[in-house]
Amino acid sequence: MLTQSQQATLRALVERLIPADDDPGGWDAGVGDYLDRQFAGDLSHALDTYRAGLDDLDAESAATVGARFCEIDLAAQDELLRRVEVGDVATDWSVDPAAFFRDAAEHAAEGYYGDPGNGGNRDGVSWRMIGFEVTG
Amino acid sequence: MSNYDVIVVGAGAGGGVAAGVLAEVGRRVLLIERGRELTFEDEPRDHLRNHRYSRYGHNTGPALVGNPRVVVGPDGQARTVLPHEDEYQNNATGIGGGARVYGAQAWRYLPLDFEMASTYGVPEGSSLADWPIGYADVAPYYERAEWEIGVSGDSAGSAERWPRSKDFPMPPVPLNRQGAVMRRGAEVLGWPTVAVPLLINSTPYGGRPACIHCQHCIGFACPVDAKNDSANTLLARARASGRIEIVTEAMVERVDTVGGRVVGVTYIDAEDRRTSASAEVVVLAAGAIETARLLLNSRPAEHPHGLGNTHDQVGRNLQGHYYPGAVGLMSEQMHDGIGPGVTTGVTKFNHGNPDIIGGGMIADEFVVLPIIFWARNLPPDLPRWGIEAKRFMRENYTRVARVMGPVQEIPSPDARVTLDPKVKDRWGIPVARLSGSTHPETVRTADFMQARVREWLDASGAQRIWGSPPRLKLSGGQHQAGTCRMGDDPASSVTDPHGRVHGHDNLYVADGSVHVTNGGFNPVLTIMALAFRTAERIADEW
Repeated sequence: MLTQSQQATLRALVERLIPADDDPGGWDAGVGDYLDRQFAGDLSHALDTYRAGLDDLDAESAATVGARFCEIDLAAQDELLRRVEVGDVATDWSVDPAAFFRDAAEHAAEGYYGDPGNGGNRDGVSWRMIGFEVTG
Repeated sequence: MSNYDVIVVGAGAGGGVAAGVLAEVGRRVLLIERGRELTFEDEPRDHLRNHRYSRYGHNTGPALVGNPRVVVGPDGQARTVLPHEDEYQNNATGIGGGARVYGAQAWRYLPLDFEMASTYGVPEGSSLADWPIGYADVAPYYERAEWEIGVSGDSAGSAERWPRSKDFPMPPVPLNRQGAVMRRGAEVLGWPTVAVPLLINSTPYGGRPACIHCQHCIGFACPVDAKNDSANTLLARARASGRIEIVTEAMVERVDTVGGRVVGVTYIDAEDRRTSASAEVVVLAAGAIETARLLLNSRPAEHPHGLGNTHDQVGRNLQGHYYPGAVGLMSEQMHDGIGPGVTTGVTKFNHGNPDIIGGGMIADEFVVLPIIFWARNLPPDLPRWGIEAKRFMRENYTRVARVMGPVQEIPSPDARVTLDPKVKDRWGIPVARLSGSTHPETVRTADFMQARVREWLDASGAQRIWGSPPRLKLSGGQHQAGTCRMGDDPASSVTDPHGRVHGHDNLYVADGSVHVTNGGFNPVLTIMALAFRTAERIADEW
């Protein structure tokens, strides 16, 4: 559904939206799988926006940092995303950067903190992290 | 001769009770429900599609496709909305209705809740009014609902606020950590607390087991059927009696009349077949929005503005509950995973507040799903992404106390259900159009109650407290009420004090529509109690 390049950018983005530390980051916890499933379902209408937004994010990175988003260092990724979050971009985006970022952050949280039945939160990893235990 | 003695439209808290009672006393009952059977197996624990968090849908009816409503915003713009969107003011459809997935709080209204206008006066622009009946009229039916459907609670504590002649049939569900901490805070303030009464089995009751304290109570069906509603009590008994016929996934198109007199209903079933069924009596219990819509869509020549609508009252005074609340970051663990989660209520602010009309109950909250915590309970200044958001979730999901409660709304005649002139549902029936807002006094009360929530959290040891301020809006949702209010005067009400529609001898309403005001409490026990009362009247007269 996404090109290889878009997929790489998405993975890098998700890993900054929910970074790895002692607990898995968004991608390792299955946010990508959640999105895959949603792109074929409830978020099929958002697929074009994702394609465009991921391309725009890469172009923004290339123009302002000098390399693709997935290739710049983590601090530079965060700094760039803080600008995108408030719409303070240097290149010409084809989608609203702030809205794209807000939606991506929400979708990542859905994949990470939602129930494993939705394709993310692999083996309930985020629930163990925060202390939400299902007993019955 | 009619096909049935009684046709009941809607199998929720009100309709399920009315149909069950009437079948039990020997009437031939047809119960028509637009939703389906709602079993635990059919209602997945989908954290993104449920009645607590409907991000992409929900786990009951109505289906997202073919059931739109139109909402007119404060800017006057009309927008078509889907069932899982907030503004739709949805309540679950299905056998048992919203009660299949509710939190099951089983409050009685207080005596003063029936006397709001004479207690406080009527603010300009509001339709605040007294009920034509009082607490004493409803009390025997509250008791019947508590015993026949099954309520657990603190009888002695309840008796301090509510005159009651009989205890709850079950003791309260066990206290959890959040509740224990909040009770200590209330003690510091000198506020009395009471165990929240619940339509949940704390002990085996009615042939079904006790609650297993899972984390998926509100918004979901019960895994062990310990949550009580009309479906697993009165309707289960009625089905066993063989005197009730239940049609599911059927949409009632109109109430049928001959010469202006009600003779039955026409409905469209799951196979899109149109059927006209006749009965001596028709009872509408489709919820405050759909009952009003059905009356307005039933417009024979003798009643060109809709049944019961001679005085343009049907659909007005739509109300629900504002829910001011706050989240407190505590110094100790709050979450111990023991559901349902709500344990402790404060009712001292339901009335008697200086310069405030009415008030509301506040209580600790249900176990919160992680994604709901992320979406609604993070501090407003916390980034919603990055390591800081993740750390906050990890460190504080179990360390927050959540408190909120329903505010008694001050009704406005302009908060209303009408028919949309253009948009139709999948059966071609004009859809409900919702417009207006509650009276602004409601916001003042909600502000006052939010300050009490903060005070309570503070006294309970919160290091930091946050919550969004209430704003003026149209209210309805799962607590929807008021659109066919009862009264003695047909010019200012839709039904008589027993729920019979003015001008019709055999058309009744048995859901929250008849509430004149909606109390500062969850309304379901009142809906059930009034349905018992109305059904008893129908059994006496028909």
